[in-house]
Amino acid sequence: MPRQRILIDPVTRIEGHSKISLHLDEEGHVEEAYFHVTQFRGFEKFCEGRPFYEMPSLMARICGICPVSHLIASAKACDAILAVRIPPNAVRLRKVLNLAQILQSHALSFFYLSVPDLLLGMDSDPAARNIFGVMEANPAMARDGIRLRQFGQQIIEWLAGKRIHPAWVVPGGVGSPLAAGNRDRILAGIPEALAIATRAMDWFKNEMERFREEIRSFANFPTMFMGLVGDDGGLEHYSGRLRFLDAGGHIVADYPDTSYPEYLGEIAHPWSYLKTSFYKPLGYPEGVYRVGPLARLNIIDGISTPRASQEWAEFRELDRGAVLSSFYYHYARLIEILFALEKIEQLLQDPEALDSNVRAHASVNNLEGIGVSEAPRGTLMHHYKVDRDGLITWANLIIATGHNNAAMNRGVLQVARHFVHGNKLTEGMLNRVEAVIRTFDPCLSCSTHADGRLALEVELRSHDGELLDICQTR
Amino acid sequence: MSNTLIIGYGNPLRGDDGAGYIVAELLRDLVHDPEIEIISQHQLTPELMEPISRAAHVIFIDSSVSGRAGKVNRIPLRPGPSCSRFTHHVTPESLLAGAQSLYGHTPEATLYTIPGRFFETGDELTPSVRRAVNELVATLEKQFAARSAGGSAWVTPL
Repeated sequence: MPRQRILIDPVTRIEGHSKISLHLDEEGHVEEAYFHVTQFRGFEKFCEGRPFYEMPSLMARICGICPVSHLIASAKACDAILAVRIPPNAVRLRKVLNLAQILQSHALSFFYLSVPDLLLGMDSDPAARNIFGVMEANPAMARDGIRLRQFGQQIIEWLAGKRIHPAWVVPGGVGSPLAAGNRDRILAGIPEALAIATRAMDWFKNEMERFREEIRSFANFPTMFMGLVGDDGGLEHYSGRLRFLDAGGHIVADYPDTSYPEYLGEIAHPWSYLKTSFYKPLGYPEGVYRVGPLARLNIIDGISTPRASQEWAEFRELDRGAVLSSFYYHYARLIEILFALEKIEQLLQDPEALDSNVRAHASVNNLEGIGVSEAPRGTLMHHYKVDRDGLITWANLIIATGHNNAAMNRGVLQVARHFVHGNKLTEGMLNRVEAVIRTFDPCLSCSTHADGRLALEVELRSHDGELLDICQTR
Repeated sequence: MSNTLIIGYGNPLRGDDGAGYIVAELLRDLVHDPEIEIISQHQLTPELMEPISRAAHVIFIDSSVSGRAGKVNRIPLRPGPSCSRFTHHVTPESLLAGAQSLYGHTPEATLYTIPGRFFETGDELTPSVRRAVNELVATLEKQFAARSAGGSAWVTPL
């Protein structure tokens, strides 16, 4: 049997455009696997020459799903250029906004993109394996997913004026204080959202037993994990130290978040537009690490809110050291939804939440600034250099999907070796290869409409181009 | 509960693709009737099913890649199945069906499409599409004003 290459193009139910190629040896076993990101954006180059204060709004345009994350990391980098300490209530409101973003994005990832696999099955009819299929099979769960995402987006709108691409987070703070009426509306919605999150958590924990094979094979290998932790070592999404933890659950190092160039390296591969990050002291590929919900729950010492803390304690019992299977990203996402809701409630119950002092003003005081925050998918870094007039001369962005790139590639290889065999393809096999990518919830920054003709088409070809098998779903 | 829901969608940074979005934005400045809710989005999303289910009538406004640029087409809509596995391609018909199945009500619905010519990067509409946008805004505003004044007919073909 000749060596073959299987191409999965496009990868579906993720944010952005990519494909996966699998290379089979003469025996029909998967030899290599690659996750190719096929879109190119170029934000780091075309922002050069723009005034730094435009950067938060400009960077928010990177994505329609997580614009708030870019707003926050960008504004923090600009705070550093201004060299200001922003007012406490601006920090509080930015935190609420960031948590609302995590809430709506996690709800999208779980209910819209992953529940179709989890509820209907990895081998179910692909034509129905989507949110509309979920609506037919379990309308109550679909309503829950829609309501939870809607609530997260509504909080963003009440705070920042609009749901997508708000411009409310600015260098030095936020654009306006929170109105009492909007605070009350957010607080009034928390109990219903918590009830939904609890139902989803209970359902997922009951269903996990059905996915033993996926748990064993979905990017389940030792790597390090990285993310922000608070001063107390607790779960933190806005600011703190960057912690590296090894697969055994031991802390490797805690670093100041703004010194990332000292310990993070980046490489580019010829087969993808997505850069790959690694931990410099170990080099590449030994320095592979993961970020995002799974990493955050692995690296922390505790959670400050009661219900999420209780669930986290149960989660930690899954493994002796760090929880290694990427299938558990789904579980971690649900715990973070609980945390986000509880924490938003805590932050807005503070009597200072309506304080009108929400912005510090200054001119350019530093020629370089680094902003780091936790986006839904993991640690997000914005790094800018400016001239004395405040015009951007250089920018570097490290996004969560870049941190996870090496682990995703390794995960694709692991799951392909486990499920893909020989010269006859099944759609369920290939869906599992895509599903391991979905656990990471990569965001490849899609910003344009699909044309409605996208479809999964997988061709199995011999090394000389002969078509051996084809799998299409339209 | 809003009586009429207007959903204009499209990407205003992709030339004529933004026609529907821009119609909704212009109407927001002109129509101040508490019975009319206006939403402008880059694309249709499943969350719209819930507000759709609360409306007595919904008007979708979108651009179109086919047809003569500058013409406005009016299409009555019925609930229909989703024809795509992708959450990035939700149709008005599938939202109407979802509103019915998830929330027990789907309203009467109309789709206005404005065929475009230029869909590349840019925030300008081509002149013929701009004229069609203004024409649709004026027509809808007039109908809403007549309805607010007690008239019964609220949607007439362009």
